[in-house]
Amino acid sequence: MSASVKKSPPMTTAHKWLVLDTNVWIFGLREPPDRPACVKVLQRLPRLHAHVPRQILLELRANLTRDEMDRLFRLLNRYPERIQIHWEKVEPALIHKYQQLGCKLGDAAVAAHVEALRVDVLVSENRDFLAEIKGLPFQVFSAEEVLRELGEIEEASKE
Amino acid sequence: MMSLSIDKLAEQIATLDRTEQEALFERVAELTFQRGLETLARQYRERLAQEGKLDQKVEEVMAELERVREEVAPHDYRA
Repeated sequence: MSASVKKSPPMTTAHKWLVLDTNVWIFGLREPPDRPACVKVLQRLPRLHAHVPRQILLELRANLTRDEMDRLFRLLNRYPERIQIHWEKVEPALIHKYQQLGCKLGDAAVAAHVEALRVDVLVSENRDFLAEIKGLPFQVFSAEEVLRELGEIEEASKE
Repeated sequence: MMSLSIDKLAEQIATLDRTEQEALFERVAELTFQRGLETLARQYRERLAQEGKLDQKVEEVMAELERVREEVAPHDYRA
């Protein structure tokens, strides 16, 4: 992984580095009525610190067209210090660690990327994702929980 | 576009102190980002509607994303 991964003092979610799971990106773009927090989290990206690791990028590429991906990258590239894109693969040993803990390969890849990037919080709408694994080196929050930490949950539910 | 011309707007902004100008430019950049995101989301939803996928339930979308995840990963890492 990149040696230039940055860390900030984790005071609040606004200052922590996040990884948004693919479901947050996709629901944020699809805008289903029962996932308003995902829309809000994407809108708040310029105020957050987010890494986008390879596994998430590949999944987004499988869901979006080339043109849609280009548009997304143009947006993300406006904030290179706050939104960092990582095409590097992760060490297979780290993947194996999560597989040994019971993760399927894809889930293990996501968890391994998050750990390798030394990210504080994985934001996912999958409540069961990694729920059974003890001692994770990162927290798993829903989009709504992130907004709550940011003090924006009431605002989000109104919109 | 707006009642103020660009020149008049620039004159007004130039009267702000540096901190206010920075906050203003940051807010403009954020709004531009959000507009771009809204445009992308609209384009994406239009495509999904054409493909008959826009009304998929959240659970169906989650299942599809999980399937894609497990299809993508073996390209990088052997199972």
